[in-house]
Amino acid sequence: MTELTAPNVVASSTRSDRRRKLLHNLLRGERPYMLYIAFVVLLVVFSLSSPWFLSVDNFLNIGRQTTLVSIIAVGMTFVIIARQIDLSVASTLALSGMAAALAMSQISNSWIVGAIAGLGTGALVGLLNGILTTQLSIPSFLVTLGSLSMARGLAMMVTNTKPVIITNETYFAIFGEGTFLGIPVPIAWTLVAMIVGILLLHYNVFGRRIYAVGGNPTAALYSGINTKWVTTAAFVLTGALAGLAALVLSARSHAARPDVVQGMELDVIAAVILGGCSLFGGRGYILGTLFGSLIIGTLNNGLVLLGVSSPMQLVIKGAIIVAAVAFTKR
Amino acid sequence: MELSGSIAAEPQPSASLLMVDGISKRFGGVRALRDVNLEVVSGEVHALLGENGAGKSTLIKILSGVHAADSGTIEIAGKPATFDSPARSREAGIAVVYQDLSLVESLSVADNLLLGREPRARFGFVRKRELMARAEAFLGELGIPLDTKATVGSLPFAYRQMTEIAKALMGEVRLLILDEPTSSLTSDEVRILFDAIGKATRRGVGVIYVTHRLNEVFEISQRVTVLRDGANAGTFVTADTDMKRLVNAIIGTDRLAPAASRATPAAARSFDSSPVLSLSGVSNDRLSAVDLSVMKGEIHGLAGLIGSGRTEILETIFGLRPAESGTLEIEGRPWLPKSAADAIDQGVALVPEDRHVQGLVLDHSIERNITLPRIPHFSRWGFMQQRAAFRRADAAVARLSVKAQGASSLVRTLSGGNQQKVVFGKWNDPRPRVLLLDEPTVGVDVGAREEIYGVIRNAARDGSGVLIVSSDLVELIELCDRISVIVDGRVARTLVRGEIVDAEELHHLLQIYQASGQGVLQELPA
Repeated sequence: MTELTAPNVVASSTRSDRRRKLLHNLLRGERPYMLYIAFVVLLVVFSLSSPWFLSVDNFLNIGRQTTLVSIIAVGMTFVIIARQIDLSVASTLALSGMAAALAMSQISNSWIVGAIAGLGTGALVGLLNGILTTQLSIPSFLVTLGSLSMARGLAMMVTNTKPVIITNETYFAIFGEGTFLGIPVPIAWTLVAMIVGILLLHYNVFGRRIYAVGGNPTAALYSGINTKWVTTAAFVLTGALAGLAALVLSARSHAARPDVVQGMELDVIAAVILGGCSLFGGRGYILGTLFGSLIIGTLNNGLVLLGVSSPMQLVIKGAIIVAAVAFTKR
Repeated sequence: MELSGSIAAEPQPSASLLMVDGISKRFGGVRALRDVNLEVVSGEVHALLGENGAGKSTLIKILSGVHAADSGTIEIAGKPATFDSPARSREAGIAVVYQDLSLVESLSVADNLLLGREPRARFGFVRKRELMARAEAFLGELGIPLDTKATVGSLPFAYRQMTEIAKALMGEVRLLILDEPTSSLTSDEVRILFDAIGKATRRGVGVIYVTHRLNEVFEISQRVTVLRDGANAGTFVTADTDMKRLVNAIIGTDRLAPAASRATPAAARSFDSSPVLSLSGVSNDRLSAVDLSVMKGEIHGLAGLIGSGRTEILETIFGLRPAESGTLEIEGRPWLPKSAADAIDQGVALVPEDRHVQGLVLDHSIERNITLPRIPHFSRWGFMQQRAAFRRADAAVARLSVKAQGASSLVRTLSGGNQQKVVFGKWNDPRPRVLLLDEPTVGVDVGAREEIYGVIRNAARDGSGVLIVSSDLVELIELCDRISVIVDGRVARTLVRGEIVDAEELHHLLQIYQASGQGVLQELPA
């Protein structure tokens, strides 16, 4: 009997080990569970103080409101793990949205054309960010500070700051207003970005390289890794995701406007850092980022429901972000 | 000798500066220190020896206030002391000079010496002239040859270290702790450092000198304390002991026997095969017409002073530094290395000089580090095959006997020798055609060093051509089939095993070539 049971015990323990490792990979990252505790505390506080907070509709609302930040934050996680920063994401979103809308109104009114134009423009801005950062060795803070300004300017120039109306119903359904398996599509696209991010970062060869490049760029170079290419790819991914966010936003508002989401890059970066990424590179995980962005979204939502004035909201939000980072720091 | 003379002149040998009595420290389940005693008297250089993991670093961290001891007492000049912070330790007059220096590279020597203690005028303005004068006066008094106006970042390593020591002595320092100060110095630079230490001890400062180099112990220390497995393994008066007894204490008698039985084959081995790697007339900004060949199965040493171009030869072969002219051949085929990835594809591997900066991602696991150069080999459709990666890492950990809990341990938690084994593990499988090693045993303890020599010999026996750079001439003579002397970015001479038998002779040769500037090219037949 014992001889029969022994292998089973071993097998099940390794299986549970593997499950534990998976959980560890996805949830914990490098930090303790403070992030999730913080999120739960936030939920409890708002539930107790506002009768409207605790409802499915409101949670779907939070989900919808955080999609833009969450989608881009997936890309930003890669960039920050690679020891870089991308300040241009909000401007890239605006420019990509304009490109998508213009492509549909000028070239062909097909959602595919719009999607390619939006994603492509985002990826292109990311590519330029990456190439300037790695080939000319300019700190990405400066490169993307420049492209923040340039992309926003271009977005405004193409139509002389006028919005571009979108009329394609399929486009609205796919990116903005439809549902997929009962989930509103903006949330579905967020999930897609998350899953792709998790696969790329935690299971793919690319993720290994990103961690190595951020953890120790010299050691990565000495191990034969093309650190410039890897870094550039992180920027391209972030740009493309800003493009995806642009599709979602423009499909929801039936138009692309050049002045949207100004300053959103700060929410994105805050979400990633709250989620446990190290600004010094080499550390971070996608699910942490999701929770980081949910915390920011929940804060926005809860403070509105409590009737806090919008200037005060900014103050409270900023203070809570700093406090949370200080609290979750190792 | 001069130093011990000055100590003998002191009337009270019992006046101890530091008395550590029965210190114990536990980290989780690991007993890092058990009942450790250490006494340092004024004006003494007290060497502290032991393998990595023997407890030296823990003891230093307790003395410098980074860790608190679990039990035991520390007395400074007869008064009990407790250090709950580095600041308290510093107030008590203890200064630690770490391997990684704590200087601001963009500031001048004088600015660094008086950092935080600048002579001030009203409103916080710095009295620049007074600052310079004070720094100069202090250095003059110590007799340390440093230019106070020089930017620290522009100084050679030894001079930075001297600045660091001078900075430590600037305050009211009674006990100076030096942690492997010579690990990256050339022999001339070591001389300068020893002079500075001598000047400090003559002022009555006590010195704890941590090192792996036993010859330095005999040169500079009056007493030696050896730690083994976190406990005292003996304290010796240096003049009354010898190398053999120290090694004995460090590694324990049981492990000495196999090391002693290792006999160095004096005869030159012959290599009938063609070279696995050859360079002819390779030049770039740091190299001028390097001619070099490495046979299959050969261990070929590069001897030279720091800055001679020996590291640059390895970097050029590994594709990190472009070759502007000349030709390289790998197994007879011409090849121009364009990048590290290109070199790795050709079967070239490099164990770089600085394992912390170039070799390892310290915050990542052993498995992540070992698989780093060959990530695509552990993936299918771009996805990591975690199990295959761990299998490879586990095998490497076992084969190289890395002391760690498992392949998922963080590299940061390992001792220096075990970290270096992990760097070797990166290139262990498949066997590299050419294995480039830059200072493979720096900061590695005696026991791990022997194991690394074993790894290198095995690589050569399995058919790799090994090219090794080392400042440790004993190491080169012990390992190498041929040794090339590098001077001013070129091969001044290649020696075959047996031509030179002791390090003294090789050292002499290096000095001659270096002094003459242009060594005569005398390639001897292999």
